[in-house]
Amino acid sequence: MTGNAHVWHATDDLVAHYTDGTLPDPDAWSLEKHLERCGACAARVSASVRGTAAGAVLGEVREAVLREAPAAALGAASARSAAAAAPVRSAAVRAGVRVRAFRRGYTLLRPPASRRPRSVPRLVRALWAAGPAVRGAWLPAVLLVAVGALVLAHTGAVEGVRTLLLAVAPVVPVAGVALSYGPHADPLHEITSATPSGGLRLALTRSVAVLAVSLPLLTLTGLLLPASGAPGAAAWLLPGLALTLASLALASYIGCRTATAVTGGGWLAAVLAPALAEPAGGLTARLAEQLARCLDGAVAQGGWAAAAVLCAVVLTLRRPTYDRMEEP
Amino acid sequence: MSTIRVTGLRVRHRRTVALDGVDLTLGTGVHGLLGPNGAGKTSLIRVLATVARPSGGRVEILGEDLSDHRRRGEVRRRLGYLPQEFGYYPGFTVREFVAYVAWLKELPAAAIPAAVERAVARVGLADRIDVRIRTLSGGMVRRVGIAQAIVNEPRLLLFDEPTAGLDPEQRVEFRALLRELGTAATVIVSTHLVEDVAAACTEVTLVDAGRIAYQGNPDTLIALGESSEGTGDHPMERGYTAALRAHRTSAAGAAR
Repeated sequence: MTGNAHVWHATDDLVAHYTDGTLPDPDAWSLEKHLERCGACAARVSASVRGTAAGAVLGEVREAVLREAPAAALGAASARSAAAAAPVRSAAVRAGVRVRAFRRGYTLLRPPASRRPRSVPRLVRALWAAGPAVRGAWLPAVLLVAVGALVLAHTGAVEGVRTLLLAVAPVVPVAGVALSYGPHADPLHEITSATPSGGLRLALTRSVAVLAVSLPLLTLTGLLLPASGAPGAAAWLLPGLALTLASLALASYIGCRTATAVTGGGWLAAVLAPALAEPAGGLTARLAEQLARCLDGAVAQGGWAAAAVLCAVVLTLRRPTYDRMEEP
Repeated sequence: MSTIRVTGLRVRHRRTVALDGVDLTLGTGVHGLLGPNGAGKTSLIRVLATVARPSGGRVEILGEDLSDHRRRGEVRRRLGYLPQEFGYYPGFTVREFVAYVAWLKELPAAAIPAAVERAVARVGLADRIDVRIRTLSGGMVRRVGIAQAIVNEPRLLLFDEPTAGLDPEQRVEFRALLRELGTAATVIVSTHLVEDVAAACTEVTLVDAGRIAYQGNPDTLIALGESSEGTGDHPMERGYTAALRAHRTSAAGAAR
């Protein structure tokens, strides 16, 4: 053994981070390795841990273990527990690891094939495909938009609710895509990226789930609202589809998060900015006018349909990039 | 046949170079990937996992060139990957989660239920298979991560710091699993712990500052430590420091 192996000791900073759990795993590890041999640092870490909320719990656990443990087992353990100040985890290792090793070990053998393995129910599988957005906060948000619109319209608190709904609706599936795919939205992204289905196929599956929920729900809500000069309740369907496809196509260049911000933000800017800029008339009336320009008529709808097809083509061409997409 | 053939691999992250001119050929067995923090271990594993894009060089896995996106899917079907930061859905049960990854890896639907139970049993979680992941301890979550990596019985397995969060007893068990997996597959384990390498690996690759600093097996690394007086408590630690020192000296000599 060379003498200079332990020239370093844990700094106060390191101990503090270890105690509050903010030290990265590898660093925590090197520290724990060091503590196995360095009594002085072990005592400092122990003292620091005892000062936290976890310290009190650990104390209670220690008391309980000492009360319950058979005297014989204690005798064996205490022979090696000279470093009483060492962290609980380290002490537990010394007392127990040799005895317990392999007792409840990894099963290296195949499990008995006495019964058929259970498969996952159909509904659960549908939710998998739906991904994080439909399982998570996005779904309640969409329901809130729909219910909120109905309540506002029927209490008569706000004029032109359908106009407002139509202005917001195309952003809803775009937000759903943003919350469904990519390293910022999906905790599993690093793992899905290494699977054959993790690229465009997964993004499309999740987008379809988002559209399948939002298109019928918001269109139906629109139908239940008084028209009050706004375009038809179904007028937003093609723009919603086109913006979703545009987000996916753009994501292959600039990443999912930025792409959805550009398309969603772009729509809102295009609809709201002229309405806010014009001085004459009520805000909802101007908004209804602007929406009519964007949505009403064969030319506008044809434009949205063409845009959707174009985005789908770009998306197909960009597929190789999609299958290995890192956020820039 | 070698599973991995890497030539002249370069990886850049914005302006910094993570890997520079890496040549590597690996076959069946357990390969320990050692190196200081920031040496490029994770960058190398992410390239091999088909997640990160190399900025130069050629990567061939299981005989397929990774730059060809049509062949990439074939590689991914036979790949298992546990990232350093293991993300999961806390509301899923262990069974649902591992089955989801099996589905993403395109296992035939009929084979998934049995494959899931087998993978979960191999990491010792058979009695927790229908428990939600959020209720599991850190070490158990890590084992769920290992289970999702092995569910498709991959030919190439990549573990980035797999023993982080495992207690010493679980580490001993994990090494036994590694040895078993290494008999049929190419297993690459990046780790900080020389004990892991000494106990479970058949070969050692040492990475430093984006380059391969040393390649050998645990015995030759230990012998190097004995002959050139590396510092450390464990024979392999001495080999590690000696190999690093030798690489840095020769790199400095070459630069001069």
